[in-house]
This record gives sequence, structure tokens and C-alpha cells, in this order.
Amino acid sequence: MPKPAQSGQGADIDIAAALYERSGAAAYDVSAEQFAAILDEILRKYLLQSSAQSSAQSSAHNSAQNSAANSSHVSAEQKAAFCAALRLEELALARACAAGNERAWQDFINRYRQKLHSMALHITRDGAHAAELADSLFADLYGVNARDGVRRSKLVFYTGRGSLEGWLRTVMAQEFINRYRKQKRTVSLEEQTEEGVQFAAAVPEPAYASDGTSDQRLEAATDEALAELSSEDRLTLASYYLDGRTLAEIARTLGLHESSVSRRLERLATGLRKRILAGLRMQGMSHAQATEALATDVRDLQLNLRSRLTQDSGGKPFPGR
Amino acid sequence: MTEVPKIVYDRLRAALPEQAHPDADLLTAFAEQALSGAEREGVLQHLALCEDCRDVVTLSLPAADTTPPQTADENGVRTTVPQAESRAPRKLSLAWPTLRWAALAAGAVAAAAVLLVHPGKLNQATPPSVNQQVATVAPPASSPKIASSSVPLSPIATSPTDHSAFLAKTDEAQPKSELQLSKRLKAGQIVMPSPQAESGRWLADNKKDSGQADKLSAPTDRARAFGYAARSSQAGAAAAVSTEPSAEDALMARNETPWNDAPAIEKAKPALQEREGNAEQKAQAAAVPGPAKSLSRLAMSTAKLASPASPTQAHNVTWAITGGVLQRSVDSGQSWQDALHPDHPLLCYASRDEDVWAGGQAGTLFHSANSGVTWAQVQPTVEARQLRSDITHIEVRNNEARNEELRRDLRYDVRGPGEILLSTSNNEIWSSADGGKTWAKK
Repeated sequence: MPKPAQSGQGADIDIAAALYERSGAAAYDVSAEQFAAILDEILRKYLLQSSAQSSAQSSAHNSAQNSAANSSHVSAEQKAAFCAALRLEELALARACAAGNERAWQDFINRYRQKLHSMALHITRDGAHAAELADSLFADLYGVNARDGVRRSKLVFYTGRGSLEGWLRTVMAQEFINRYRKQKRTVSLEEQTEEGVQFAAAVPEPAYASDGTSDQRLEAATDEALAELSSEDRLTLASYYLDGRTLAEIARTLGLHESSVSRRLERLATGLRKRILAGLRMQGMSHAQATEALATDVRDLQLNLRSRLTQDSGGKPFPGR
Repeated sequence: MTEVPKIVYDRLRAALPEQAHPDADLLTAFAEQALSGAEREGVLQHLALCEDCRDVVTLSLPAADTTPPQTADENGVRTTVPQAESRAPRKLSLAWPTLRWAALAAGAVAAAAVLLVHPGKLNQATPPSVNQQVATVAPPASSPKIASSSVPLSPIATSPTDHSAFLAKTDEAQPKSELQLSKRLKAGQIVMPSPQAESGRWLADNKKDSGQADKLSAPTDRARAFGYAARSSQAGAAAAVSTEPSAEDALMARNETPWNDAPAIEKAKPALQEREGNAEQKAQAAAVPGPAKSLSRLAMSTAKLASPASPTQAHNVTWAITGGVLQRSVDSGQSWQDALHPDHPLLCYASRDEDVWAGGQAGTLFHSANSGVTWAQVQPTVEARQLRSDITHIEVRNNEARNEELRRDLRYDVRGPGEILLSTSNNEIWSSADGGKTWAKK
């Protein structure tokens, strides 16, 4: 919609001022211009990816002109709505901390220092590791690892899409996963001696990989059936069957009720089976052959799953991939 | 749960994510249900293929999420417009789940009532004649309550009359059982408190001095501590008072905390909005065998209903020590008030939820279980030796083993009292695992 650039600018400035007001950034000595630049950077990252060629200095109203010029990828209303949905107050706090504002940092410590420890404990379930994890994240947040004399706080990456507390938990979980995976690689020898005796037979390539065409057809049919699923369905399947997540955890992740997740899993499991069988018969298998190809030995499956799950994430390529 | 064929595992597993991991902001926003449309779909696609990011999302779920789960369609595509429209006709069909919950909840209450009667330990305070009443009256009395409490499941706006109907129903039933008593107490701030003299006394006591209740129930979050106290005293642990009084004390004290000046009815309203979640919890309690579990489960629902303190209010409290005085801010540091000014200067503090500890020179140690509304001085003593040196650092740690136990038993995410660690100027470490009642020196 072609808008007079003048009024568009005026609205932008009004909105920017209102957002600045709401964020309370002034208390942390963040100027309106600085805050606008932060918002602009976030808009660029999430909303304006398509029109990212505009130069780094172009401010909010400038890019509004740009977008108006190239038939508006993103309308001013969209941008306003996007910004209004951000956690402005927490964003201001995080960025002020990153910029080294003393008061912001004090507030951050008051609000989150204690929480970091309980978060870490929740994630690691182990006191010693928790302290280590929390402390190292805290150091990252403060930006201890100074390069060329400038400390870089991890908080500059916070963009206010979710709560700051949630972001801290996520960052911590990522750090934990990274370390855990690394650690797992280093201790895998011990694990092998522990687990290896019992599961030695499972380590070689799964037996079915050798018996040729029927297997490839099965894979193809399965892939096809899986490809028909929505991402959310597939995520539900993987969380439940691969990761062994509880219904409650999946429900919370997806914002659903536990019973919906349970019903969905039932539906998916039966549906998948049907779809794979149908796919196999489309490829010329008889009903009996198809059923046999799908026949599941539960023990075999557990074994196989176990061996897959204990593999490194960056380990051997999976068959057929 | 129906098993899926082995090949499904293999193929699910075989898929590897093609794009880069979504950044922490997007994952957070996703987990907080703040994404919609293409962004949510993008994250879903990645998560479907990336085990690491799935782990991150699950690990970063908040520890104690007490918000009732959203009701969404089976398909869960809440964000797309067609789904949103197609949900309207479904509203009518929600009557059935409501009834189902009610039936389940009634079953749970009946089970709890029966279990209350049998183990003699639990109802010492109850006159023998009451037992009969518990069994007969409790189920019918509670099922209408649950039925009305499930109303928010249907999207009809809840009206004040709805609330009072709910409360009236609770109060109509006049049995003198403990079970009913605790139910009435959760409504008791609004409707007349029970005619029973005993509960009236509790009420009066607590209006006088909520701090007393604090001492009785040291654990951090008193709403949750309710369940904990109920359980721990049954288990013969060191809770000094009998189950019911202490629990109710905690409950009442919470309602009396001064900073919530609104009329009682106002206070109860936000709590009532949690009814959906509670009805569900009660229903789930049926699945937990054993008297202790059912009881504490019910107790916790009760506590939750009665507790008006909003979590945001609790979490916005920030602390600082200036010139030996502990100061509190409830507006994220905009303004500060002196919260604690003891004889000896304070040196350090630690807070976890509403539990606050402040320590200072000459072994000064204060504890508040309600974000500083009331304080109690604690004198750590080990083998008749009192802590006299300066306390230089305090730490409140989660007692994760204990929490784990509680979680497993209650099937509900709770936190027991944290472990308190004090460091002193002469390099000693004192610790207490029971909220400051007993201490050990390391």
C-alpha cells in the first residue's frame, strides 16, 4: 500500500518513542537512538531477512521507505506489532548489561543470579556440575573473555523474542548439551565396556541392511509416510519414541494438553503403520509380504534403539543416508 | 502406547537437520508459545529432525510450571486461521470432558476420603463419629464443586456469580470432616469460616500473627510447603506440629500477608482461575495410590486455590544490602525500602523464591519465608556451640534429592526447603537441610 513517506515516518517515530518509554531503557542510560538501533537490528534479523541488503546504518524509518519502495515486504503495522510483542523491558536490561551499565548489571544480578543456580541444578541434576555450568554462563554473560580489551557479553544476543529468563535457560541448556556431548565422546570407552558386552551384537550395521531390495522398498515407504506428516507430528513422534520424553514434557513443549498428545501418538502410530503397508503394496508387495516386512520384534527394536541412541550425534552416517 | 514399527525409528533417526540450529531466542519463544505462522513452522521442522535442539527445548522448560495447560485442538494448530474458526463448534462438546473430569475428581475425593478413614494416624484430631460422615458426605459434596470448577474449560466467560456459586456449593455441605474443613478453608476467606470452633480459632490465630505460621512452616513456598508439611509429618519427620493445623496455618497466613490489601474476595479471584488445573490435579490424584499421596495431593490443590500471591509479585522482589541494612524493592529497583535493620550490620543475603536469608556480624542470621514481610532470627547451634563469628556468605541450594523424591511421590513438580549454607569469617561452613531448624558444621 503506497503511503506518503512523511506520515509513515511520523508514525514510526511515535511508535519508537512509545516502545522506548515502555522499555524503561532510559533508567539504564540507553538513549532513544540506541534503543531504536537495537530494535532495528532485531527487525532486520527476524522480519526483514528478505530485504537485508540495506546498509547497516539505515535506521527504522529509512528501511520503511525501502520496503515501501520495493512493494513493501513488511508493512509498518507488521513491524509495530512485532516490536510491541517483544520483551522490551528485559531487552533493555540485557542490552544495557552488555553495554556495561553498572545499574543494569546490578539489577540483572539481583534478578537472575540466584535463578541461574537453580536453573543449572534443574538442568544438570547435580550440584557440582550445576555450579560449574552456572558460573561459566555467568562469566559469558558478563563477558569475561575479553578480546582486544573489549569484553563481549553474551547478552548482546538476546533479542526479546521470549522472556529473558527463558532465554537464559535455553542458553544454559545449549551449553550443557554441548559439554555433555563432548564429555560423552571422551568417556565413551568406559561406556563401551559397560554397555558393550551386552550390546556388542548391535554395533555392526543392522542386519536388515544386507538383504537388498525389500529393505529399500521398506525404507522408501517409511520415508514417504513420514514425509506426509506435519512437522509437529514428526516432532511428537521423535520426542516420544526416540528421545523417550514423557507425554507431559511433549505437551508442555507444544503447548498442548497431555491427553491430546497421547491421542495424537495413538493416531500417528496406527496411521503410520497403515501408510507404510499401503506404500509397500503400491510397490508390488503382497499383503503378507508387506506385513512381514513390517513385523517388529520388540526386543530387537529396543536393542536397535539403544544402540542408535548411544551413538554420538556426529558419529557414523546412518544407513541409506 | 501403541508401538511403531522398527523401521519408523530408523527413518526418524536417519533424518538429519539441514539448516543451522535456530538461535536461543527463537527456541525460547517457541517453548513459550510466542511464535506463530512461518516462524513456528520453521522451528518445528528443525526440531523434528534435530535431537540436540529437542533436548535443549525440553531441558529449558521451567522447573515448576504451574500454569494450566492450554486447551487446544487435537491437531494443535492453534495459530492457523481455519483451525481457529473450526474450534467454535467444538465448544459445545466440551461439556463431556467436563463431566468426565468431574467423575474422575469425585472418584479421587472418594478415594482420599476412604483412605483418610483407614490409616488411624491421619485423623487423630477427628472425632470418631465423623468418620462415617467423611465417607458418605464427601463425595457428593465435592462432585458438584468440581463440576462447577471445571467451568472454565468451556470458553464462556466466568462471572462473579459463578464464583460465589462455586463457593456456596462448597459451603453448603456441612460435614465436619477434615477433608471438608480444608476445602471450606480455601473458600473460608470469602464465605463464613466454618462454624466449627476449632477452625475459627486457627483463623483468629493467624489473623493475629502470620509470622507464627512462618515458623511452623519454614519451607520456602508456603503454598507448596503445605503438601510437603502434610507429607513430612506423616512420615514422622521433624515437623513440629500435627499435619492439619500446620498446613492450615500456612494457608491462612498466606491469605493474611499484609501486602495484599485487597478485600478477600478480590484475592480469591485469581486463584479461582486456576480451577481448571486443580480439577485436573485432583483427578490425577486418583492415579496415585496410598493415603499420603492422595492427601497431600489434595492438600496441594487446596493450597494452590487459596494462595492469592501471584508469582510475578513474588519474583519482582529484589534485595540489596546498603550500609548493613537489608533493603527491598518490589518494583525492580525503582524504589527501595529498609526491610531489616538488626543490631549488628548485615553483610550478605540470599533469596530463593519467597525465602530470604540475611546474615551479618556476630552470627546475626535472619530468615523470612514471605519475601521479607515477617522475619525471624535464627541462631545456628551445633552441639551447644552457637555461631558467633561473622557470616560472610549465604547460599540457598535446591535440595535436589529431596525434590526429586517429592516429585516422584507427588507426581507434581514441587520444591522442598533448600539447603542453606553459611560461610563465616573464620572459614567455617554451616549448613542446614531443614530450613534452619538443625545445623551441621563442615
